[in-house]
Amino acid sequence: MALALVFGCDATPPPHPNSAPGGVPDKVLRVTFQAAETGFDPVKVSDYYSGTVIEAIYDPLLTYDYLARPAKLVPNVAQAMPAVTDEGRTYELKIKRGIYFAPDPAFKGRKRELTAADYAYAIRRFLDPRNRSPYAFLFEGKIIGLDELVSQAKKSGRYDYDAKVAGLETPDRYTLRVRLKAADLNFSHVLAFPLVGAVAREVIEAYGDDSASHPVGTGPYLLKSYTRSSKIVLEANPGYRGKIWDFDPGTDPVNREIAARMAGKKLPLIRRVEVSIMEETQSRWLAFQKGQTDIEYQLADVAPTFMTEDGKLKPEFAARGIKLDRSVDPEIIYLYFNMQERIGGELNPVGGFSKERIALRRAIAMSYNVADQIRIIRKGQAIRAEYPIPPGVAGHDAGYRSYIQYDPRTANALLDKFGYRKGPDGYRTQPDGKPLLVRYSSTPTERDRQFDELMKRSLDSIGIRLAIHKDRFPELIKLENECRLMMRGAAWIADYPDGDNFMQLLYGPNSRQTNGACYQSARYDERYEKSRRLPNGPERDRLYREMTRIMEVDTVWLLTDSRYRNALLQPHVVGYRKHPVLHAEWLYIDLAAPSGR
Amino acid sequence: MPAYITRRVLQFVPTLLGVMLLVFGLFSWIGGDPAYLLVGKIPNPEQIENIRRQLGVDQPYYVQFWIFVKQVASGDFGASWATNERVSAIFATRLGPSLIVLLPMLAVSTLLAMAAAMLVAHVRGSLTDRTIMIGCTVGQSISILVYILVLQYVLAYRLGWFPVQGWGNGLAENLLRYSALPIIVGVVVSLAPDIRLYRSFFLEEINQDYIRTARAKGMSETRVMWVHVLRNAAIPIVTNVMIQLPGLLAGAFLIERFFSIPGIGREVILAVERSDFPVIKAVTVYVAIATMIINLLADLLYKAVDPRVELK
Repeated sequence: MALALVFGCDATPPPHPNSAPGGVPDKVLRVTFQAAETGFDPVKVSDYYSGTVIEAIYDPLLTYDYLARPAKLVPNVAQAMPAVTDEGRTYELKIKRGIYFAPDPAFKGRKRELTAADYAYAIRRFLDPRNRSPYAFLFEGKIIGLDELVSQAKKSGRYDYDAKVAGLETPDRYTLRVRLKAADLNFSHVLAFPLVGAVAREVIEAYGDDSASHPVGTGPYLLKSYTRSSKIVLEANPGYRGKIWDFDPGTDPVNREIAARMAGKKLPLIRRVEVSIMEETQSRWLAFQKGQTDIEYQLADVAPTFMTEDGKLKPEFAARGIKLDRSVDPEIIYLYFNMQERIGGELNPVGGFSKERIALRRAIAMSYNVADQIRIIRKGQAIRAEYPIPPGVAGHDAGYRSYIQYDPRTANALLDKFGYRKGPDGYRTQPDGKPLLVRYSSTPTERDRQFDELMKRSLDSIGIRLAIHKDRFPELIKLENECRLMMRGAAWIADYPDGDNFMQLLYGPNSRQTNGACYQSARYDERYEKSRRLPNGPERDRLYREMTRIMEVDTVWLLTDSRYRNALLQPHVVGYRKHPVLHAEWLYIDLAAPSGR
Repeated sequence: MPAYITRRVLQFVPTLLGVMLLVFGLFSWIGGDPAYLLVGKIPNPEQIENIRRQLGVDQPYYVQFWIFVKQVASGDFGASWATNERVSAIFATRLGPSLIVLLPMLAVSTLLAMAAAMLVAHVRGSLTDRTIMIGCTVGQSISILVYILVLQYVLAYRLGWFPVQGWGNGLAENLLRYSALPIIVGVVVSLAPDIRLYRSFFLEEINQDYIRTARAKGMSETRVMWVHVLRNAAIPIVTNVMIQLPGLLAGAFLIERFFSIPGIGREVILAVERSDFPVIKAVTVYVAIATMIINLLADLLYKAVDPRVELK
């Protein structure tokens, strides 16, 4: 007590930053990140938190409608949606005139207008070997002439930004034409990717290796101050062209209520965004309850504290005016089996396409209780994933039901039928009498230990001996890329909200990249290639359903769950809806003057 | 004395080399391939090779170790693999916040522990002594995590005496407002083991012949305790405090994480999570060097205070 008096006695909460003198609201939004950012150079980051800040600072050519679900592409800096010709090989966009970069010393006092060349430059940067961009795959092997530029750079040691690239043209100051090596109807999603915002070459060259601390864009916010791994302060960009809140709310009552309050307002309405890095759940939870933060969505560990079992906000929180925005992340979590007959030089007991092997995989999948995973490990904060494309993503089929459901009794019968006999120790052998040992790989974390236990219990229930292989995450990824893991739990979150981003995970040529199961199926691949040539629609959806059934019949994956995202909002936060792929919703919301504070 | 100092400084070299070999070996053995952490969601072999080449982890181990030696010699550990921030800048910006919390914490806990230890040593065997010692044993067996969770909840959230977490821009704001609760937590955590340790130092002095002589000569108990016992017991106490400091800088990560203090400890954990070897290397080497220097200073201090101590 004495120390509290000497030091900073905090009995009176600090004045809310939205209560500015004179009654004029000075709108400051306070949010948290649960992990530190890595920087704000769009080509150099891959983490969610850096990406969120980048999204607020830079402008991609296209973006997504704030309220439409599944997410819908709309023009951003482009005057209109791209003109797609040559059966999906050529994309041409015209950008709006009179858009300027935020002032920066790199511009030497001049106003710097945004041009199509800035986008061409931004795209080139992804493949510059010096940048070692985690998102280089967005453009690798796609744009005519760009990979050749990379090859030349490897020979000469210099990546030539001035060299002509046939597939990346700017016929005039405001037109960008991208020519692809192969038809790709999803390339518009790449152009809407928040990291593919325009960057000014002068800025990148001025700051060199420190470009990650000097983000300069044309977007709604600019970086005001930055203490690495601690605090990021953004301020509304005074030169921002502005947007009008004019989204179609559809029939959703919450959206309609939002539209009633927000329609016609000029964005952004929040003047300042303060992001604090708080790694610990207790700190975030207490800070939110004390009113020190306005939006908090990283509280899965304590969700039962504020939510009822049926996913509603507990009455005591609702009574305080706190609001809950609940959505399902655009992700799938799944267990995969290595489909190869051999792993290295050894026989893989779960791989191959013989009936016995399929029966074994099916039995393992049927023995795993996904409901327990959701109830115990996720604390109820997830839904069962039945389809490889999650909700909110184009191509999702809400009515689809997987063939593979929890049924240990049938799983045991299946193993008996296909000759996996139990020995005196209660564990089964292979049909040829050899010992059967299934290896499951995971990281040495507390969370993964829970998965290990559930897996062990499941396999014990069908008499299969399990070995847990522990390794660090990068080593597991390395082994996965060499097709050397037998079984592992994996997750995939949407890079862009289209089914293709998920269905490619089982495409044969993607083995040793994203296809961790190393699944090779001519039937699947043929349909996948056909789907790539189709726009989102019933015909492509039919192909996706067929592909999913093929995968289930072969039992390559057991889809487990997709997690809920529960965002808690203080009473004065107006207009918030979690978007599946846009994360800096700050642009679209408002803060009402706080009452009774 | 100069010969002694020279000899000790020369001993730094093999010790540091041992530390470097240990951290290099451990990282190479269990650290995992950093290229797979940095490559992103869709890796390809060319990109992995490119990253390995840029980080230098494609080189033979002896070449990598030689680069490490040169980094230690020049004091330039390059840039963080994860953020590209210069390692020197990481230290320059994170050291201040750590010291703002740790120095007052050490000072307060040392003074309180000394006072309590002197009291219980003076009344050794009494009910007060036993009660405090039992309390210390119990307090010492409780995890620091429990102290943080409970004190943050009660003092910051329930009673509202302190901010739940945060960090500002000015020294006064950080020291008086944001560091107060972390300092209290640190003091509470260290009090129990410190009292037990310091009590033993005081008891050792109280049982010395010169104290018996002082008492026999009629010196007041207050003077005996506050002048003679305290002055001599203070030497191992100060040594102990100094030795703690380098380890505390890196070890205070839990306090820094819970109270959002942008200090060195938090950065160390981040570096480990990200397999950020340049930062891990720098922290290990700096802590080792600081520990060696402080040990040397402590030995010199012994000599300065007690001329009977012989430096060999």
